[in-house]
Amino acid sequence: MNYNWNWGIFFEQSPEGTGTYADMLLSGLVWTIATALCSWIIAFFLGSLIGVMRTLPSKGANAVGTAYVELFRNIPLLVQMFLWYFVLPEVLPQAWGNALKQLPNAPFYTGVVCLGFFTASRVAEQVRAGIQSLPRGQRLAGTAMGFTVYQTYRYVLLPNAYRIILPPMTSEFLNNLKNTSVALTIGLLELTARARSMQEFSFQVFEAFTAATILYVLINLVVILLASLLERSVAVPGQR
Amino acid sequence: MTSTPMPASTAKTPVAPGSVAPMDAGLQSGPLSSPPPKLATGAPMIAIDNVSKWYGDFQVLTNCTTQVAKGEVVVVCGPSGSGKSTLIKCVNALEPIQKGQITVNDTKVVDKATDLPKLRSRVGMVFQHFELFPHLSITENLTVAQRKVLKRPAEEAKKKGLDLLARVGLSAHANKYPGQLSGGQQQRVAIARALAMNPVVMLFDEPTSALDPEMVGEVLDVMVELAKEGMTMMVVTHEMGFARKVADRVIFMDRGEIVEDARKDDFFGQPRSERAQQFLSKILQH
Repeated sequence: MNYNWNWGIFFEQSPEGTGTYADMLLSGLVWTIATALCSWIIAFFLGSLIGVMRTLPSKGANAVGTAYVELFRNIPLLVQMFLWYFVLPEVLPQAWGNALKQLPNAPFYTGVVCLGFFTASRVAEQVRAGIQSLPRGQRLAGTAMGFTVYQTYRYVLLPNAYRIILPPMTSEFLNNLKNTSVALTIGLLELTARARSMQEFSFQVFEAFTAATILYVLINLVVILLASLLERSVAVPGQR
Repeated sequence: MTSTPMPASTAKTPVAPGSVAPMDAGLQSGPLSSPPPKLATGAPMIAIDNVSKWYGDFQVLTNCTTQVAKGEVVVVCGPSGSGKSTLIKCVNALEPIQKGQITVNDTKVVDKATDLPKLRSRVGMVFQHFELFPHLSITENLTVAQRKVLKRPAEEAKKKGLDLLARVGLSAHANKYPGQLSGGQQQRVAIARALAMNPVVMLFDEPTSALDPEMVGEVLDVMVELAKEGMTMMVVTHEMGFARKVADRVIFMDRGEIVEDARKDDFFGQPRSERAQQFLSKILQH
């Protein structure tokens, strides 16, 4: 292979004129993290709500929850990204569609919403599994104490369910973080997009993607470390 | 934790190997329920009137009718699958019924206007598997419903909870978690948790069935004490010794029906139905 290795490339000015190639990658990393965190907030709260709905006695709530999960987990993320970004503004009333198209930073907001809704369907299934894994008597005990349905979930079921599903939720968080790279297809300048443009400007494809890979792995390791600290701090004495 | 010498009075309460239970004072003197309800007056605290219940096509309860007077202790027994646990769960509407009516302390259970959480908060329930909330400390288990349902101030709730915990002899475990207690201790905490709500009636759903044999006594002691104080109790149990000691009446159920509903002495002396006789001969022969 005839390839000119140049690890010093990171410290050379990028043609964008806003700093070095390293700065370019780091700004991509910042967008990756921002997208991951914002979409996770949507995914966590919406997913918890949908997951809870699927465990309620109400048939209506169940149907809505099931429909949501099946819709959002059965369409490829890439297709969802295009639907939100290219199709939605066209099918909305014209004024709304135009407003969406003119939104500053539209790829970021669209990416956040799309990832949030997609990951929510997966979080919902984790939450449902966590709640259903609890002994049936826990719900009965909460109810028998006089808790309302909301209170039973708030004080009894969810605190236990979240503890149980913390490990798979960590995986969902990592998936969500890596899925932010799909948003490059709608123009979000996140880490993968930045590595690609570095490659196109400099032809140093190996350096660019080695750096991107290392950055993804590092950030994921930090997440795993934080998750295990969280797991330890919420562990219940006398269990397991 | 290494073994700490136990007070002599608790020597009768062995601790399961592996469980961390250094101090267990056993049942203490003093009132468990407050204010102590008056003795039986004849006014029904629980009235179960012609109750039927189905799971799909399967009928689990058939025209059950009985009453529990204020201060009365009623033991419900019967073979497994006879509907006794289901019946007791209908009393605080944990299970819906399709026909009939249940009245608890003059409040109709089957009535859209009834505030069920409020009704349930006055009906204490103790479960076979304790069902303490595993993520909460013993103190939090005793106080959470007092604070969130009865809206008691935190201090008052804590005092009430710790008083009852002391009463069942487990003060030393206030800051532990349910998983750190033995089964018998957890069940005593569960009884204290129910009592902390100042219930007008207590329901027990096989409270000793999940316990190791050596722990049954410590739980029954608490229940006997409670019965002596005049608490209205409906107890699903196979502990016939307990029934003999404190029950006023015994209800025998089979295949979803109340087959026998008799004063204790009549039931143990001469059950009228053949099914009850067979049941008694089976469970009393060992």
